Amino acid sequence: MLMCRDLAVIASDYIDGELSGRQSLSVKMHLMMCRDCRTFIGNLRATTDLMKGHSSGKLNEAFLQRVDERVAEALRTKTSPNKDK
Amino acid sequence: MAYQKAVREYSPGMLAVARFYLDHSSAEEVVQDCWVTVIDAIHKFEGRSGLKTWLHRIVANRCKNKLRASKREVATDFSEGLEPDLAERFNATGRWDLPPKLQFHDSADTLLENGALSDCLDKHLSALPETQRSALMLYEAHQHKSEEVCNILDVSASNLRVLLHRGRQKIFLMVEAFQETGEC
Repeated sequence: MLMCRDLAVIASDYIDGELSGRQSLSVKMHLMMCRDCRTFIGNLRATTDLMKGHSSGKLNEAFLQRVDERVAEALRTKTSPNKDK
Repeated sequence: MAYQKAVREYSPGMLAVARFYLDHSSAEEVVQDCWVTVIDAIHKFEGRSGLKTWLHRIVANRCKNKLRASKREVATDFSEGLEPDLAERFNATGRWDLPPKLQFHDSADTLLENGALSDCLDKHLSALPETQRSALMLYEAHQHKSEEVCNILDVSASNLRVLLHRGRQKIFLMVEAFQETGEC
């Protein structure tokens, strides 16, 4: 029988639809009977939604400036009529 | 300029890929080099995959070459199971001892309107092991499919599952603590 702890171990697989039909059914049966695990799964799902909506990876300006400079230089070289090719 | 816009849009994902393999400064260096490569190779982009996937693969290949050249490997903990802070909330019979108290009622958009929570999320994402963070960023924030993430990060499907679940648990615990205390 699936216990709450077992469910917590496979919770991400359940949310992402990665469990077999049998495993998924056993999670669903457990969730019908266990309010705490329903809350846990709901909150873990909300956490994944939160990360989907989060504007990830703020870039530092110094890094962006360096990329811009190198891109500009590469574009100049590419379009320059005097380039050695 | 179109390139400046593209750099700002695609660099976060490219950095997430590079950070899986390399330290922070080497990762930034590789992403810079990749943008220069892209300018020369953009005609090779055939559109079979999306531009984002193509860029991420270029970064991953460059990182793998760099690792190979330096004969280093990515050190990753693929041990399955629960985060210790979550594991200790179950009793010996496997039932909850300390179940989740609050339900996250608000939608993700509403939650993210809370600037303090958004900052806290940034802080905790930064503190994750690189491999977990990269996997989460590519799967959740950049919405790659599992197979694409496995391909870009060179991990098996089962190891990707471990990375995602370990990372999610840490972020779940952070959001829960924030909801309860209002503190990061």
